[in-house]
Amino acid sequence: MFKLTSLQNFSGSVGPQTGSSAHTPCHAPHRQMDTVLMETPQDTLELNRLNLESSNSKYSSLNSDSSVSYIDSSVITPDSVSLGTGGCLLPKQAQNKPKSGRSLLGGPAALSPLTPSFGILPLDPSPGDTSYLQNFTNSGSVMDPPPPGIPPKKSVARISQAGTKSVFTQSGNSREVVPIPFNQSQTTAPQTSTTPQVLSPTIAAPPNVQPRRSSRLFTSASSTAKENSKKLKMKFPTKIPNRKTKTKISKGVITPSNINDTFEILKLDSSIMSEGKGCMITPQFQAFSLQKAAADGLMNLMRDIGKGYLALCSYSCKEAIAILSQLPSHHYNTGWVLVQIGRAHFELAEYTQAERIFSEVRRIESYRVEGMEIYSTSLWHLQKDVALSALSKDLTDMDKNSPEAWCVAGNCFSLQREHDIAIKFFQRAIQVDPSFAYAYTLLGHEFVLTEELEKALACFRNAIRVSTRHYNAWYGLGMIYFKQEKFNLAEIHFKKALSINPQSSVLLCHIGVVQHALKKSDHALETLNKAIDIDPKNPLCKFHRASILFANEKYKAALRELEELKQIVPKESLVYFLIGKVYKKLGQTHLALMNFSWAMDLDPKGVNNQIKEAIDKRYLPDDEEPVTPDDFPYESAEVEESQESSMTDADDTQLHTAESDEVFLL
Amino acid sequence: MATASKTPPGADPKQLERTGTVREIGSQAVWSLSSCKPGFGVDQLRDDNLETYWQSDGSQPHLVNIQFRRKTTVKMLCIYADYKSDESYTPSKISVRVGNNFHNLQEIRQLEMVEPSGWIHIPLLDLVNRPIRTFMIQIAVLANHQNGRDTHMRQIKVYTPVEESSIGKFPRCTTVDFMMYRTIR
Repeated sequence: MFKLTSLQNFSGSVGPQTGSSAHTPCHAPHRQMDTVLMETPQDTLELNRLNLESSNSKYSSLNSDSSVSYIDSSVITPDSVSLGTGGCLLPKQAQNKPKSGRSLLGGPAALSPLTPSFGILPLDPSPGDTSYLQNFTNSGSVMDPPPPGIPPKKSVARISQAGTKSVFTQSGNSREVVPIPFNQSQTTAPQTSTTPQVLSPTIAAPPNVQPRRSSRLFTSASSTAKENSKKLKMKFPTKIPNRKTKTKISKGVITPSNINDTFEILKLDSSIMSEGKGCMITPQFQAFSLQKAAADGLMNLMRDIGKGYLALCSYSCKEAIAILSQLPSHHYNTGWVLVQIGRAHFELAEYTQAERIFSEVRRIESYRVEGMEIYSTSLWHLQKDVALSALSKDLTDMDKNSPEAWCVAGNCFSLQREHDIAIKFFQRAIQVDPSFAYAYTLLGHEFVLTEELEKALACFRNAIRVSTRHYNAWYGLGMIYFKQEKFNLAEIHFKKALSINPQSSVLLCHIGVVQHALKKSDHALETLNKAIDIDPKNPLCKFHRASILFANEKYKAALRELEELKQIVPKESLVYFLIGKVYKKLGQTHLALMNFSWAMDLDPKGVNNQIKEAIDKRYLPDDEEPVTPDDFPYESAEVEESQESSMTDADDTQLHTAESDEVFLL
Repeated sequence: MATASKTPPGADPKQLERTGTVREIGSQAVWSLSSCKPGFGVDQLRDDNLETYWQSDGSQPHLVNIQFRRKTTVKMLCIYADYKSDESYTPSKISVRVGNNFHNLQEIRQLEMVEPSGWIHIPLLDLVNRPIRTFMIQIAVLANHQNGRDTHMRQIKVYTPVEESSIGKFPRCTTVDFMMYRTIR
């Protein structure tokens, strides 16, 4: 990892702006990186992938002119994981001919006008072929799907992976050269902080670059061609195995296969060249076609990723998951894609699946911080406090300057009901990054929990100010107005949130409840029906539908609903409580009492008052009720009088559920 | 009285907080004392540290006044008292009064403690066994063990019941499955 970072810096610095060639401050580190790189040509692929995942933005800053000489390889934009590849390049350059290496990087870099991605195109480099290839790869990666940066990372990573392999084989220059090609392609994306920028350059590059490259190739090819041919000759044996692996690897991605094809062509070319023909044009064309194929592949990949991301942003989560799941596995199993999929599950309220995917992300990329705030909220919903506190500790140890880490810490303490400390951490997250909308939302939720509704309102409004499409903040505002019984305002805000995220059954459920509070029960039932259609697994929708039916005196229907609910969530005391109330209204006191007793069993402390009241009222008209009801009032009184037992509520619930299980068996 | 059973200690209120049924709201109130020795005042009474304490410095009864910004539902008080460490400073008779202001206080609870050695939970309920709603609470120490003049109090916590479920007037849900869908975060 260490090496990689340095590489990244390198590539970052290289940036398409290599022209400046002014030694960037990174220069020094680059040097170091070179040494580092030299050691890792084999690991380049791995590194590249890792690099891609790592925060490209950091390196982007380094991308400034990257002293071309070294930076060439590093030209790889920081985004492109190619940093790793860049690293590869570096060693290569260092070893072979620094000059040629430089030219590779420098050439394209210097020329970089076309597209950062292609910047790597070697103007005069010996690895001319490879450089072209690199350029292809780079440009491909540069594609800028709508989502900023994220796709580039992915594509870049992929490219680096594919590139490295193919490049290696291809680059006649030297082993090191091989990696570089990839890097270059990757770096082409101007690592600028905004990925889209990065992407665009690359995309633009292919069309623009190709002509230029060819010209360059032709001009410079002569000198390099000979070298290349020699090298290619040498490379033949090595290439073959690579190609095979490459073909295996590339599944859906055209790029690798294209690269393979191009390699084959190159191989042929090299063979021709080895014969001493020294025909410059053929390899050039080969290179071009290779590059084009690579670019196409990259574009395709970027497009798919972009489609998936677009679906996610418009909250068509199931579609997003479907699209993203179709990516080839070496792209699917990367941090970025899995985080998007995890987030899609999270928005669907499928927290267990989201948690599973996010833990996979942690396994693959334990250094990744982005997206972890969603993971922490999933754990919060699932109430997995151990996992959450472990995650919080890891992240805060790793990166104290990221708002996500502090959000995770805040969530951890919020789960432990230490709201004051949670508030402190969320405020810290805001301090670290005032443009991180989610921190404001979470802070607002904490204020709601500590009943400071004015401050909560301010926080949610801040979140909306930062990001208008942050539907959680709209939801938060709706919740506050609901608590203040301003149901009209609540409904407006919930509907606004729903317009952003139309598939959220929880939102629909809330709207249904508000409409019921506004006495629009028909609308409420409609809304709840819609919610249940969207997500049949949501027990709260059914529960609220049953309670509305109960309020409207449709007892039979309510009972039907509640019976279904009993099957879904057998241990929920609220369900029995409501069934008891329905039976009481229906006059079936026996059943009512039975259900109340079950409800009490399941939740002895929380609902004591309400259930006790219900039983008391129940008790009054019916004098010959069995002894059981008598016990309840006493029990509750005793519970209150005595010192609270040391057992937590949870323990009690477990014990009681065990008992109630027995009851059910009876 | 010598043979009277000792007051058993209650559970750590932190555990209570974790169940999510109550919430500590002392931070939302203004605390004042009838008298205190320098360095042994309100801060020491509210610092979550059982080693530090408030030491009164005047005549009995010693008073702790808790005033809220708005009418607050209070479910219970928790007082930490330890006879072994405080001996004659340990309060033995405590009276709890609530009201709107200093002139409007009414006693709702009086309790006697015999050699307490931990947390004392004082539930504050009205006639129908619901948590009281009040602007002000006054805890008066009427007598100490061994007829001590001044009193030590190590920690006082005030608890309010947590709002019931986020939507509707239903009680809290108990299972994670239900709670998952209760709110969007």
